[in-house]
Parts: sequence; C-alpha cells; structure tokens
Amino acid sequence: MLVMGEVHTGLLQNSGEISESTCRQVLGLMTGETVRVSRRPIVHALSPERLTGVDCALPTASRSRVRGVGTVVSRCAVTGGRVAQGSSYVRLVRSEADRRLPWSHYLARPGVVEVLGKAKAADLAEGFTGDSAPGCLNLGAVSGRFLDLVQASPLLDRRAPFKIPRTSLRWVAETGEPSIRFTLHTEQERTLRLTHPGPFTPAVVDLCEDLATHDWLLTSLLVIVERARIGGTPGAQAAARLAPAIDHLMHLWMPAARVEEWLTPFWESLERRPGFTRQWRSLVDRVRDQVAMNALALLSATAEAGRR
Amino acid sequence: MTPVQATFGEVAAERRIASVPLSHVSVELGHLYMEDYEAGPDRLREQFRRVAPWLATVRSLWRERVPGGRARVSTCFLVDDYFSRFSTPAELVPMVLEAAAEHDLTIDYLARESACAEFEDAQSGGVELARLVEDRLVDDPPPETDGSRPPVKETGWLCNGSRSPRTTPMQAMGKTRPWEPPAQNAKRGHSIFVDVELWDEKGPRRTWSCPFLAAVWQLLRLGLLRSDGHVPLPPVALDGDWPRDWDGLPAVVRLNPQAAPFSAYTTLSVLSPRFLPVELAVRTILSQVAVDDEVLRQVVTRSESEGVRLEEELVDRISYVFI
Repeated sequence: MLVMGEVHTGLLQNSGEISESTCRQVLGLMTGETVRVSRRPIVHALSPERLTGVDCALPTASRSRVRGVGTVVSRCAVTGGRVAQGSSYVRLVRSEADRRLPWSHYLARPGVVEVLGKAKAADLAEGFTGDSAPGCLNLGAVSGRFLDLVQASPLLDRRAPFKIPRTSLRWVAETGEPSIRFTLHTEQERTLRLTHPGPFTPAVVDLCEDLATHDWLLTSLLVIVERARIGGTPGAQAAARLAPAIDHLMHLWMPAARVEEWLTPFWESLERRPGFTRQWRSLVDRVRDQVAMNALALLSATAEAGRR
Repeated sequence: MTPVQATFGEVAAERRIASVPLSHVSVELGHLYMEDYEAGPDRLREQFRRVAPWLATVRSLWRERVPGGRARVSTCFLVDDYFSRFSTPAELVPMVLEAAAEHDLTIDYLARESACAEFEDAQSGGVELARLVEDRLVDDPPPETDGSRPPVKETGWLCNGSRSPRTTPMQAMGKTRPWEPPAQNAKRGHSIFVDVELWDEKGPRRTWSCPFLAAVWQLLRLGLLRSDGHVPLPPVALDGDWPRDWDGLPAVVRLNPQAAPFSAYTTLSVLSPRFLPVELAVRTILSQVAVDDEVLRQVVTRSESEGVRLEEELVDRISYVFI
C-alpha cells in the first residue's frame, strides 16, 4: 500500500566529532552484525537494523479504526562523526487474514505491518502526516529511543559544544507519478510526501535520512546565526558565537551523497524549490563574512595599538 | 565528450552474507544428557532402536518430494557438555557410534551443546551464538502495543502474551487486587500462556537455559545464523584420535566424509515425550527470533531453484517425533 517512516536527527552528544572506529562501537547494536561505514564523500556509519513488534491502531485522517500488526525496522546512523539519527519505517501491506496470526508469521516478513480492516492508502498517508493521535502507531517514539540509544553510549563524553534541538521528519512513500512535497510544520517537525516510480526499495529510506540530515544542518545553522545576533552585538561576540558552526557543521553539507541515481531527481527538485543548498550557501557566506570582518577589525585594532 | 558513468564502491559499506550448503532435512538422532549416560549403553541402544524406522520414513518421504529422488538427508547427534561435564570424547564417542551402528544408523555430525552458548578456537575465533540469537529476539507484542513505550520485559524471560498483573496488596486501599489471567497474544478462543526462562545469572556467570540453547541448535541446523556475515561453526573433520577433553573437540564434528550438508531446509528431531515441555519452550523462543532478511531470502531462492517449496515461518520447518 505505502511505506511510512520517521527520522529523528540531532547533534551527537560529544565534545568533538568521533572517529570511524568509535562510530563502529557506538552503533554496534547487535552481536554478530557489522556496522556499515562509507568514507566517501563523507564518513557515514549505519547500525545494523533492529525490529520492534507492534499491534495497534494506525493513524487515519478519517479517524476510522484500522488495526496494524507487524514489525517496525529501525536503525541509527552517524554522519561525519557528528550528526546522529534514529530512523524507523514500516511497509503497510493489506492482511490476507481478518485476525491476528501467530507472531512467527510477522517475523517471516520483517518490516511489514499488515493492515486489518478496511483502509485506504490515502487515508493512512494523510493520517500519518497529520496530527498524531494517542494510541496509534508511534514511529516517532521508536526512532527517538534509537537516537537515545546512541546518545547514551558510554563512549560519548556528553559535552556537546552547543545545544540544538532534535528535528523529526515524518515521511510517506508511495508508488506512482514522481512527486515530492516537503513541509515545515513547527520548529522541529517536518513531513515529506514522496511518490516514486517502481516498487519501494530501502534506497528510499536512504533518501529520507539524507534529506533529514541536511534539513537538520540547515535548521541548526539558522539557529546559530540567529543566536549570534549579527549587527545587534559587538562583532567579536557575534564571531565567537558563530565559531561552533565553523568547527562542527559547515563541512558536513554533502547533499545526495548517499542517494541512489534514480532518486537524485527528487533532491534536485527540492534544490530548485525551496533550494536547500542556496540557503545553506548564503548562510555559510554570512558566517564567513562575519568572521572575516571581525578578523579585519582585530587586525586593524592591533595595528592601531602598535602605532601608538 | 559523452558523459562518463562512474561506479564507486566501498567494501565496508556493503553487507556480505555468506551462504551455507543445505540438505533437505537434518535429522537429530539423539541428544545425550548425563542421566542418559549414567543409565548405560542400553539406554542409548534403545534410543537408536526407536529412531531407526523414523529415519527410514523421513528418507523415503523426501525421496518422493524431491525431483529425481535425490534427497539430501544428514544426521546429527548432540552431546550435553554445557550443563554437566561427563566422560570424555575418547570414551563416549566410540560407544555412541557403536550403538548407532547396531541399528544400521550412521551419525554424520556430532555437536557439543556448549558451542550453542559460546565457542572459541583458533579456526573460528570466538562466536557467542546465544548472545547473537538473544539480540535477534523480537518480542511478540500484546494488542495496543503502539511503539510509544519500550517492550515490557522481564529480564531473562520471554513469553507469548501478556503476563498477569502483579497481585501485591495496594497500600492505600488496603485491598488486594484480584487475580487476572495472563493472555496469549494469538489465542484462538482460549489462551495457552507460555513464559520461558532464557537464562539466569549467579554473579558474573550467565547460564543459558536448556530451551534457549536448543533454539540456537535448531537455528544452526537450519543454516539461519550468521556472525559478521560468516557461517558460524562450520563442521570440521577430526584429525587423529578422539581427544580426552571436551574442549579439545570442535563444535560440530563431521564423522562421515560422504555426509550430506549439516544444515538443512528442515529439521526433524526424534525425542522422548519427556522433552515435550522443552520443545514447546523452544518453539515459543523461535517464533520470536527475527532471522536476517537476506539469509531468509538466500534459503528460499535456493529451495525454489530445486523445486522445493518451504514453509514461510521457520517454526513450521521444524518437526518432531515424540516416541
């Protein structure tokens, strides 16, 4: 029917970026399973996938009662040794039975939630991307716990260089005429509706996680620039407040680095409107200009002092 | 210039899952505990006498099922060296083989139960199979489980439903909460609630329960386990004499050089009815083990390519004869 997921993204609770080998340890959530690491163009480490069993109501826009039984796939990722994610998704499939089956049936189809009762894909998609209803499938809580699992690792020093809120991206993917709709809700909540050609593959999840990473980077850089109160505070102070962005965020922008070829047009269309990279570049330029101006001011002040 | 199509790969970014050779069925001819050993060789002869006709039946059933009648059947025997250490391989193994031969049975593979917990040797390194399976448990969720809270767990236990609420007296009210029954999640009419102890710990040492190790043993025989993508504990032929210590024995020994592969699409265990509760517990555990997707696919693809249709759920690939 459709696939839905939620990605939570946050700053890794560590003073500096962590090494590839630490990433492997932090993300080693399962005995006998390796952490996958890619190094080009940015170090990206992905934990093995774990399942969580659910048997509950599914969110519907019409508020009709629809039951889903099955497993949620979750995983954690660390990008650039700095950005942590907890990500979960389910594939909704209409159940062939009208009752709950033995659990082994559901474990034979990992990541599938079977839908019991009459349900329309559109109703479920609207319900999931709309206001969350209590008692309904809560992928956000599952993803949040997986992100907590990473953040609680004893290998991290829990001294993050700045405080920045987590963001959540709730997404729904369907097969059909290609389209993408990215919506900002509150400060931290985003939704994504994606219609892709051909059947669902995990590459779609990679795309959603990549978008979530970059949306978080952009959101965080905006927050840091806002906090610096450029123009409203002395230059040196503003420059100091911008320093964490230079130290920890600015090198992480690598849009679509891990996205499969056939899905890159979706990124490209978001680059046209609203233009993530355009906004990122303008922010980065602003940060650099501020720092450069402050450096100049410092230089001339030192020169002034030398002349005296 | 025409555009150049670049391909870039990183080995560490890919998942590689080894495949394992598979028989059609793996038949467990027996499982030897200390009490059986103490009962003497007659107990063993009696076991093999009862097993022999069932092995013949399974062979002929698979010959009918497999195109061309080339059924691959392998036999195995498990010795408990985990819960109690008795005898030595040098003394015990020849005795077992002799008793089996009296009933024209060939034991293809001999395995040590302790290897289902953990095993370490120069060839395979260290493998903690029990931990590996524990990490793959996905609890059977009671209705109304929406993911908002972590699964309710009693550490070291696994059940097939919702436990009874605690009946401790409520302090403020001074009343005792009336007993409420536990419930099986996938009940049909009435519940058969099963709660299985997976392990216990005395100090730093964890002891895995017999059903848990038996579940690991079934998964190993079904070829569904991988450790870092490798097949754990591949059978090894023994060089030289039987050792005088169990630790000198490989985890799974290939006794018959012509044997069909150790792991199989399905398993059959011929057991005394006294193992019925253990096997119920094993099935309760196995129905909550999430086998790797890729491994499941490998096995299905292989079986379909040779015209064998496998049961989808792994508990349905396991069968028993209780005699």
